[in-house]
Amino acid sequence: MDASQLLKGVLDVAVLAVVREADGYGYDVVRRLRSAGLEEVGDASVYGTLRRLYQAGALTSYVVPSDEGPHRKYYAINDRGRSVLEDSGKTWRTFVDAVDGLLSGAPA
Amino acid sequence: MSSPTAPGLTQEARDYLADVDRELADLPAEERAALLEDLELHLAALAEEGDDCPVVIRLGSPAAYAEELRAAAGLPARGALAPSARLAELRRVAAEVRAHPLAGEVRRLWVELRPAWWVLRGYLVVAVPCALAGQWDFPVPAPLGSDELGVLMVPAAIAGSVVLGRRELAPLAARLLTGAGAVLALVAFVLAADRTSYPSYDAGYTYPAVYDQAVGEHPLVSRYGPVTDVLPYAADGTPLEDVLLYDQDGRPLQVGFQEWWADGCARVLRQPLAADGVPVPHAFPQTYALDPAFGDPALCDATVARPEVSLPTFPEQVPTAATATGPTGVAGD
Repeated sequence: MDASQLLKGVLDVAVLAVVREADGYGYDVVRRLRSAGLEEVGDASVYGTLRRLYQAGALTSYVVPSDEGPHRKYYAINDRGRSVLEDSGKTWRTFVDAVDGLLSGAPA
Repeated sequence: MSSPTAPGLTQEARDYLADVDRELADLPAEERAALLEDLELHLAALAEEGDDCPVVIRLGSPAAYAEELRAAAGLPARGALAPSARLAELRRVAAEVRAHPLAGEVRRLWVELRPAWWVLRGYLVVAVPCALAGQWDFPVPAPLGSDELGVLMVPAAIAGSVVLGRRELAPLAARLLTGAGAVLALVAFVLAADRTSYPSYDAGYTYPAVYDQAVGEHPLVSRYGPVTDVLPYAADGTPLEDVLLYDQDGRPLQVGFQEWWADGCARVLRQPLAADGVPVPHAFPQTYALDPAFGDPALCDATVARPEVSLPTFPEQVPTAATATGPTGVAGD
């Protein structure tokens, strides 16, 4: 199965987890996701997800001006984002455990 | 698009930004501005990295980027919302119409009338092309100018159409047939509407200026219909030419223009000219000459004879003096 298909469903969890670790601007989030092993994540997907989570009130944003180069729009997780991440994380673990069980041949 | 926040963008990056902007054109301004700002900062960050990989390779085509962005942001795909919403509304209305009891009646009636349509369709298959080619000859069309061919082709086409109608066709063929039939019926309807409309009176004719003041198209109407000429006779039955006629108030008598002639040829009115060059419209009978613009003059009667009239017979013993002042027969045309 194409990893990019799987990625779509878990991008919310992944992005929230990255931002919980430390505030980040768009390109920074892209790079951290990739270095964590999600190499197939598309730039547009990350920006779209950040925008949607921000709209949903799970993220806040602030601008950091830069003397050299462009200013940066940082995203930070808030309480709502943390609770969304917690719920999504539980769902993810349950799901992964179930699929793992199926793959290893043990009764589900 | 201007980039006040990232002036360092290359032309390539600016073009990319503008292309994505176009792809997002249907989104609300605020949403679009936010997404584009992110992209602009992203492009600036990429440029800062010193990576000379082309933007299109790095991020994909503007259309693909915009599509992925929409999908991830939970926004509708380009142009997907409005048409699908409209389509859903149409489908809902169509379903409502189908569910109506009257629709069932119409369907049943349509099924019963289908053989009639098959017959009409066969006729129209021959008649419509003939009419379009100017070979219309009602009721039997004359393909290539031949009535006999029409008599043979119409029944053959009707038979073919009925056979086709009774046969079960593949869905695509059936749909094609329905479409072709609809086009045929539409063309036939337009042609029929065109033919039954009144012929234009203005085509190719110039009216004497005095007609402009006349009321309607027929300045003079008798109990038998529009009067287009007056044929004067002397009491002894001699046809008179160039008789000037005036009405009860001394105004020149005006008659209508004759459009149609028994031989089918077009004619133009030739009014005699007065010494000052002004045409005299009330000289009777009116003189018409063959329209030089009309086809073959050999097919037209050179002269249009006066119709036969039954002249009254006056008493023979009329004093010589009275002949000059006696009644003059005037026959309306």
